[in-house]
Amino acid sequence: MVDLLHRHTAAGTGLGVSLPRVEDDRLLRGEGRFVDDLHPFQALHMAVLRCPFPRAQVVSIDISAALELTGVEQILVGSQVAERSEPISVLRPVPGAPDLPFFALATDVAHFEGQPVVSVVAQSRAIAEDALDLIDVEFDPLPHVSDVVSAMEPDAPLLHPNELATNRLVTNNQERGNPDGELAASAVVASDRFFVNRVTALPMEGRAVVAEWRQGARELIVQHSTQTPHLVRKQLAEALRLDEGSIRVLTDDVGGGFGMKLGIYPEDVLACLHALELGRPVKWVEDRTEHFRASTHARESVHDASIGATADGRFTAMTNAYATDLGALNSPFGSAQLTSITFGGPYNVEHIRTERLVTVTSKTPIGAYRGYGQPESNFVREVLIDRIARQLGRDPLDLRLQNLLRPEDLPWTNHTGAILDSGDYAATLRMATERVGYDALRAAGRGPRADGRLTGVGLSCFIERTGYPSARFLANRGSQFGAHEGVTLRANRSGGIDLITGVSSFGQSSETTFAQLLSEVTGIDAGLVRVHTGDTGASPVNTGGFASRTTIAAAGAIELAGLEFVGKALRIAAWLLEIDDPTSLAVRGTDIGPRDSDGPTVPLADVFSTAILGQGIPPSEAPGLEATAYYEPQAAAYAFGSAAAVVAVDPETGDFTIERFVMVHDCGVPVNPMLVEGQVLGALAQGFGAALMEELRYDPDTGQLLNGSLLDYFAPTAADLPHVELLHTEVPSPVTPLGVRGVGEIGTIPPGAAIVNAVCDALSDPQIELSRLPVTPEAVWRALADAAAKGGRA
Amino acid sequence: MSDKVHVTLTVNGRSVDADVEPRVHLADFLRHDLGLTGTHVGCEQGACGNCTVISDGVALKSCLTLAVQADGSEIETVESLATGDQLSPLQQAFKDAHALQCGYCTPGFLMTITALERRGGALSREELRGELAGVICRCTGYETIIEAAEDHLAEVAARG
Ligand code: FES
Ligand code: FES
Repeated sequence: MVDLLHRHTAAGTGLGVSLPRVEDDRLLRGEGRFVDDLHPFQALHMAVLRCPFPRAQVVSIDISAALELTGVEQILVGSQVAERSEPISVLRPVPGAPDLPFFALATDVAHFEGQPVVSVVAQSRAIAEDALDLIDVEFDPLPHVSDVVSAMEPDAPLLHPNELATNRLVTNNQERGNPDGELAASAVVASDRFFVNRVTALPMEGRAVVAEWRQGARELIVQHSTQTPHLVRKQLAEALRLDEGSIRVLTDDVGGGFGMKLGIYPEDVLACLHALELGRPVKWVEDRTEHFRASTHARESVHDASIGATADGRFTAMTNAYATDLGALNSPFGSAQLTSITFGGPYNVEHIRTERLVTVTSKTPIGAYRGYGQPESNFVREVLIDRIARQLGRDPLDLRLQNLLRPEDLPWTNHTGAILDSGDYAATLRMATERVGYDALRAAGRGPRADGRLTGVGLSCFIERTGYPSARFLANRGSQFGAHEGVTLRANRSGGIDLITGVSSFGQSSETTFAQLLSEVTGIDAGLVRVHTGDTGASPVNTGGFASRTTIAAAGAIELAGLEFVGKALRIAAWLLEIDDPTSLAVRGTDIGPRDSDGPTVPLADVFSTAILGQGIPPSEAPGLEATAYYEPQAAAYAFGSAAAVVAVDPETGDFTIERFVMVHDCGVPVNPMLVEGQVLGALAQGFGAALMEELRYDPDTGQLLNGSLLDYFAPTAADLPHVELLHTEVPSPVTPLGVRGVGEIGTIPPGAAIVNAVCDALSDPQIELSRLPVTPEAVWRALADAAAKGGRA
Repeated sequence: MSDKVHVTLTVNGRSVDADVEPRVHLADFLRHDLGLTGTHVGCEQGACGNCTVISDGVALKSCLTLAVQADGSEIETVESLATGDQLSPLQQAFKDAHALQCGYCTPGFLMTITALERRGGALSREELRGELAGVICRCTGYETIIEAAEDHLAEVAARG
């Protein structure tokens, strides 16, 4: 590990510099290359007929009229796909759960609205869609289950009678101490049922794939909009019964992923099957209507949770029995898995239990989405903490400060075995509350302002698991991927370095940050590094960009490869300069020269060219200058922080505005502070969306999605979001290379609880409890009306 | 259905003659017939604004206009902004402010703000939030986009 005190900052492009992004120019000029921008010669286009019901028997399919349409090339139905391919595999199975295998097209039963039933390939997308209209499918609707609570009812229709005796897929319990006894003995206990809304990641570019097969070359080239090219290749090989060597996945620009673009979906298998048989490129680009029904959803869960405290405010125990939805079938990553790990949060609680139940319903499969269970646990815990404060007549800030883990308590192993590595949690809370003027806000008279509104302030303290604690950890959970990243560095004759990675570019700025990391480790100017992304044919096998893990794992790989690479470069330079001790040399920007003094230097271009030519190198060296390294983190790093929201609520209508939002976070050593801030702001926007506006709603009778378009699913616009004040602390993680913590997801975590706590503080009526997301003006108005009916507020 | 219609229009200063299917919208025409793939499609329902282009000086969602309706009009897309190797001042402002991540929505914002710029005058952050509410970005949270737009429009206004 590089000693932080001896950073090679010669080039000025290493850690901690807000370098502009190398990704920007092409994207600003309209030269990004997204999958739908590709127009392969002779390409054909695929469209998919989908089940319109939440659950239905596919009784019969008549494709005869569609086959006659001019321009239609091929139509596949479920039975053909079942012959020609394998069920789609799962990358992160739910531990202990039985398989629910399914093919790329529904065979006899379609399990959710939007599940592919027939695929058509034609000379244009328009013709393929015309053909869909000519296909006659007889569906026999079957009983369905439209939410987590009804899935658990004893008389609920059984959704997978062959594999499951109930709609409960599996339960995982984790417990430490004696939470029940402690709760029973507590002076105060706050308990409630919390509902977390079903939302969707909603990248602006939907899914897309182009598949092309060359029979004689036995090569299937798949251009794919994904966060994980190597995992796509693995899953496609399994589904298509091909050798991995016959598949090359290429991923250029990706228009956002947020966890939704991990692994494969049925349409990917279908496009490949058509391409394999037709010998022509087949393109499929998801439209937004399909996206809302067939790309994974997230977060829907119901939590029965309790927190107990002593009379003087010490937390005694926490419990959360929650049900989280899988949807109708498995997606590659399945339902959120970080709720239990983070439920205890940054607090000192010895007695704790989490019970995770995974249900199946008749809805679109749930998949990974930024946060992956952490916003859920944070909402539940932080809202309950405020209720404890109200019961005890304590200030919520004070109560939190009393219970937060102190720096000297860390590392702290929680009830799931997770280890919170380091940090000063209380410092972030103090910073947030000082910035927002907490004491003045709490001291202010609680009466309405001139505009009739009541103001309130709400807090939320959070942790975020970033990265995976090693492949061993993943193996225990049956995960079909590792925790490592791999990287190849290769000198070129121009004096630059080609850095080749299997990570793709989906907005997370890896091209810029990887070059910076290499600059940090080697002293080479980041401008000399060319990052090549997303080609499984060229890059070392890696895991991919998700779980806030990429920077951590890649930092380790880049460090190892960089040291090997630069070591050889220095040996060759020493030979050229006729200097005995290569360690007296260092890279300085574009040259190699004496580390500590002036003296003769040699340009990198000369060193690299000499190495590549293999002429004039030291006799002990092999030609070429290239290094490949893999790095597997041995522990996860926990990012952390605190947020404070100030709201103004109209007590008549329930309308409220967020007047201020302060967030203090710690992501360890920031590789590029500008990009870190961008990640946090972006995740916060998604956190606000899920807390305030977004919810996929279903008709309980028909089981159909009610708002499956951007016209009625409200993703926040520029006019909907509050101004955010962002502050940070910088505690280097002791468990990661260079002290970095991941940063991609943290912003999704605190908004829900901070806002709910602020609204409740404004209304200062103990009868008013908000236990459901999103928190809308209507929800607040209903809570006010309920409280009034109970004889509370007049 | 495939009776094509002849259209003549100007795109980024060049005159274009083409035969198009009546059902093809302007965004698809620009992208798939003219190869101007900088204009992006995010919903095809007028909600995301990622497809925004400038038509006869006014910002327009190109997914809501049929290519045949653009006959005779003057269209500008994101590809018209940079000059040679040089980003335009607005593009540079986006880069400086880190106003893009995945970059999918970016052309929509650039064209919307370019149309605002032609209308003239600096705008406050609050006004900009309203003006830019027709384009959805899922990556940035808008804060940096508003900063870039504010800086850029203020600079243009100051130059007069
Ligand atoms: S694609 Fe035109 S507004 Fe969304
Ligand atoms: S930068 Fe990705 S949608 Fe705006």
